[in-house]
Amino acid sequence: MLDKDEYRFIKNDEDWKRFLKKEKIKDYSSMKVRRAKMKGWAQFAFILLRIYIIIMLAIVILGFLHLI
Amino acid sequence: MIMREMLRKYAVMDKPSLRFIKLLTYYSSMKGDSFDINEKLDELPVELRLRAVDRLKIERLKRRGRKSLLFRLLLIVALIGPGILVMIADNDAGGIITYAQTGSIFGIGFFIPLMFLMVPVAYFVQEMTVRLAAVTRRGHAEMIWKRYGSFWGAFSLIDLVIANTLTMITEFIGITFGMSIFGIPSLYAVIIGITFVGIIMLTLRYHRWERVSLIIAFFNMIFIPIVLFARPDWSMVANTFLSWNVPGGLSAIFIYVLIANVGTTIAPWMLFFQQSSEVDKGIIPSDIRSGKRDTFMGACIMGAVAISIIILTGTLVFGAQRVGTPASYDIAFILQTIASKVGMLPVKLFALGMIDAGTIAAIALTASTSWAVGEAFGWPKSINLPFAEGRKFYIPGLVSMLIAALIVLVPNAPLGFLNLTVQVIASIFMPAALLFLLLLVNDKAIMGKYVNKKWENAVTVGIMLMLIVMSTLYGISVVMPKLI
Repeated sequence: MLDKDEYRFIKNDEDWKRFLKKEKIKDYSSMKVRRAKMKGWAQFAFILLRIYIIIMLAIVILGFLHLI
Repeated sequence: MIMREMLRKYAVMDKPSLRFIKLLTYYSSMKGDSFDINEKLDELPVELRLRAVDRLKIERLKRRGRKSLLFRLLLIVALIGPGILVMIADNDAGGIITYAQTGSIFGIGFFIPLMFLMVPVAYFVQEMTVRLAAVTRRGHAEMIWKRYGSFWGAFSLIDLVIANTLTMITEFIGITFGMSIFGIPSLYAVIIGITFVGIIMLTLRYHRWERVSLIIAFFNMIFIPIVLFARPDWSMVANTFLSWNVPGGLSAIFIYVLIANVGTTIAPWMLFFQQSSEVDKGIIPSDIRSGKRDTFMGACIMGAVAISIIILTGTLVFGAQRVGTPASYDIAFILQTIASKVGMLPVKLFALGMIDAGTIAAIALTASTSWAVGEAFGWPKSINLPFAEGRKFYIPGLVSMLIAALIVLVPNAPLGFLNLTVQVIASIFMPAALLFLLLLVNDKAIMGKYVNKKWENAVTVGIMLMLIVMSTLYGISVVMPKLI
């Protein structure tokens, strides 16, 4: 329960709506996020990433086989 | 004045006109007489209501802060949170042991300036998550899933959940070890740890959860005054910055310890944790500055704690054994050496620090797992939710904590093997996590004017390459020690 006197800066419905809008309380996650199209250096980076993961997984499996 | 006059007229009217009543209602709402902020808050769902209350409090402090220094300070305190939490949680039980071993093996020479340099490194990486959170208002896992597809989303999620669970094992090892100094058996230590973290997660809503976590995190700074027991030669400490050199040349053990320290500073879970935490806090673009300040303060505290531990063991333990390897300087030996030189009080404080480090990291990792799973599957994902409404959100984090705690209690569990697995998973995951971060923060379609500037990209790419090389070498050195 908030002390009304401490929050006098919200005096009426208009102020309340303005506050909700400014602070994005009701539509906080409203931004649309769509699947990105990979091109240029990003596409190249993803190819490198896949290669890196495959190599690392191979090293890890070999290493753990040695450890076991 | 108008209002009072209207009310006086209304009192003597037999039949007030509709227009008059409308005007009266309008003026009374303008005056705030009929407006009740608590009623408005009650109209919101519980999760939004709690966020609105938090934001109202901040708005109130902002307005008062314009006139009063005290309120400006209170505003700064109100706005700190995820940045400090993530950085201090990074100084977890495993991190504390790494710093203690570093000082014991190499003294204060090389690693104090290095840890000093790691402060901006940690800041630059984590600062990007603040901007991402403020602009997208979505967690890191959700952004990867939605922007780069389910393959990379699932890859990140599986890596994160496994790494978080395994890292949590090291936190419980830290908690049980710290409590053993006070004669508390492992079983009780684990039960206390689980209960404490569980109660914090389940009973506190975001604002209180954050405040209580910050208080716990504050005790991580206990390592800073402990250094005074060692009575270090401060001129020598200062001198390390002037004569920065590699002690004994580039040996395999030096590279191993170097990689361990760098790897300890930035871990993949930190990106996920801070972004989700900022989102749950309700950060918006106008809060980016305060989020950056929070992150910078956290990075400074993290560096100060790391440097203090290195000075402590570098002064008291360095040179205590001829063979300088992490295995020969385990934490029990380090604490015994400290006790033999300066007594039990600093050892007990150190043990308290270990318990605290394990606890704050367990709190952060539990939340991080819950947020990431909630974001990936589109489940409710806020600590503001009561358990009844957010069961799906709380269960993954709590289950991962229980698994970790139970593994610690299993007799003869291969804890060393599991610890190595954590490091390997982190080293595989790190480049992917950093790549996603860089792609997202340069994505104009979602970040708009908040994309990285050219110089920020240059710095970040440099840091990324360094971290990728280090974490890769670390991963390889863990599974194939003879290779490096």
